[in-house]
Amino acid sequence: MLLFLLAAAVAVAASLAVVLGRNPMHSVLLLIVSFAALAALYIGLDAPFAAVVQIIIYAGAIMVLFLFVVMLLNAHREDEGTGGAALGGRPLAAGAALAIVLAAELAWAVLRTRRAGGSWMGAGPESDGTALQSVRTLGGVLYSEYSLAFEVTSLLIIVAMVGAVVLARRES
Amino acid sequence: MVPLGHYLFLSAVLFAVGTVGVFLRRNVITVLLSIEVMLNAVNLAFIAFGRFQGSVHGQVIMFFVVTVAAAEAAVGLALAIALFRHRESLNPDAFTSLKW
Amino acid sequence: MIPLYVAQVGVVVAVFVMLLLAAAVMVYSERKVAGAIQQRYGPYLVGPKGALQPFADVIKLILKEPLRPVAADRVLYYVAPLLSATAAFAAFAVVPFGAETTLFGLIEEPIRLQVADVNVAVLVIFAITSISVYGIVLAGWSSNSKYSLLGALRSASQMISYELSYGVSLASVLIIAGSLSLTEIVDAQQGAWLGVLPRWNVFVQPVGFLVFMIAGVAETNRAPFDLPEAEQELVAGYHTEYSSTPFMMFFLAEYINMVTAAAVAANLFLGGWHGPFLPESLGWIWFLAKTGAILFFYIWMRWTLPRLRYDQLMQFGWKVLLPVAALNLILTAAGVITVGR
Repeated sequence: MLLFLLAAAVAVAASLAVVLGRNPMHSVLLLIVSFAALAALYIGLDAPFAAVVQIIIYAGAIMVLFLFVVMLLNAHREDEGTGGAALGGRPLAAGAALAIVLAAELAWAVLRTRRAGGSWMGAGPESDGTALQSVRTLGGVLYSEYSLAFEVTSLLIIVAMVGAVVLARRES
Repeated sequence: MVPLGHYLFLSAVLFAVGTVGVFLRRNVITVLLSIEVMLNAVNLAFIAFGRFQGSVHGQVIMFFVVTVAAAEAAVGLALAIALFRHRESLNPDAFTSLKW
Repeated sequence: MIPLYVAQVGVVVAVFVMLLLAAAVMVYSERKVAGAIQQRYGPYLVGPKGALQPFADVIKLILKEPLRPVAADRVLYYVAPLLSATAAFAAFAVVPFGAETTLFGLIEEPIRLQVADVNVAVLVIFAITSISVYGIVLAGWSSNSKYSLLGALRSASQMISYELSYGVSLASVLIIAGSLSLTEIVDAQQGAWLGVLPRWNVFVQPVGFLVFMIAGVAETNRAPFDLPEAEQELVAGYHTEYSSTPFMMFFLAEYINMVTAAAVAANLFLGGWHGPFLPESLGWIWFLAKTGAILFFYIWMRWTLPRLRYDQLMQFGWKVLLPVAALNLILTAAGVITVGR
């Protein structure tokens, strides 16, 4: 429970700072902190492989890409003029209201489901999660039941790669 | 063990934070980062559901989300670079005309 | 009798101190070997045969004035070296360096010579390596200096490119061992074929070992792949602006990363603490010998081979190393399916 509260607090605080921060460089780094907190939660959920994937792929690869682009476009001049948190006043209030409404709505949905007492809701905590930790089981499911989706994803990656190269190429 | 509701609530809060970022920020890169926050909130919900149902399917879906996020980030950032070349700005409001 | 947890804390402290010492030994032997290769003495003034030189260096670095460029990012400039050093130490936590032992009968239950036994240890090392990129990128960016930035960009793209070959060559070992736990991988290499040839993975995976070693050199930014700190072009690369203790942390991280890379290679391909002649309880001697041999190889390469050009480095990584590693992986998988483990 302590781990959960700590990780949850870090994740929410870091995500808030990502969204509200003025310097994109700091935003990227705080997002990595938030990812690390989520990885800790995944370990608590008996998903060590997911936690490691979160760090290797999300923090280690995708975020480096963001970092590269921020450095390339020279982050210092961001957020001038009509920039980000400088919005202030009404838009900010509207956004905050939107966020609270959305969070409340989602929380309400969660609570309602629990009150309705879905059978799986309480089943988990007592059950043993060690079977879920096995990378072997995970691989088995991934390469049998989801094999088509897996192959399609590889196609998606290739398309995205070609697309990114074409888009970012300097026209000569 | 922490009950499922806690995880779902955390996921909801993170998702809301991400949504606010997408709506409020006027910087393409921060908007993309906010989308990543939202995707991660969803991942957390998937893994929590999977754990409490006693199946690995939640984790499998998380992998697909991560892969799609990678593709999305690559294309999104390429777009940001391309737009920046044309307008010298990362403000999405600068890209309102269809032709330049 | 000592309680178990005391012994475990002892292992953690011992690993920490050993890593610091290993870095010192590496600095000294690097300079001595360099001296021998270039037909000069190397350090010889401080202590017997200059053996205390690294400690003198540390004192010198600590006493120097810490400088920070005016335009540097105030927080990130100091976070970067901390991140580098922390990641370097953390990576070794999951590396086992000896068989289960009772420490000569001091404790009742045998413990593993390892800080943490994780069942996805190989991936944890991988994850921490991918985090250590940030230390370098942040250092380069936050210094607000063009040399630092160029070095950081080079370093990041080099590490990401070679991480692929690193991972793929590692995957072929994982397929053979059928496990992600380093302890299990090492234990699978116990014994010998026909009573002579040790069952080390290097004999099954010579190509994988070669790719792993080359990618490992690139991952640790060592010569001939030390483009990120190429003196002639970039002054000192990503840590150009650093001095005093922050600089020392980068220096330390670099050497500890080398030690970790060598230890992982010894565990994955050279059978870790298993070897002929020595009893199981003295297996750590084998481990040290193998790690030392790989580290010597690193130093040897640095002072023998000229540095590559940047485009050559990228071409080699993507067009040679990665295809070879992938082919090796496919052949290994096919072999395991047809022949069995």
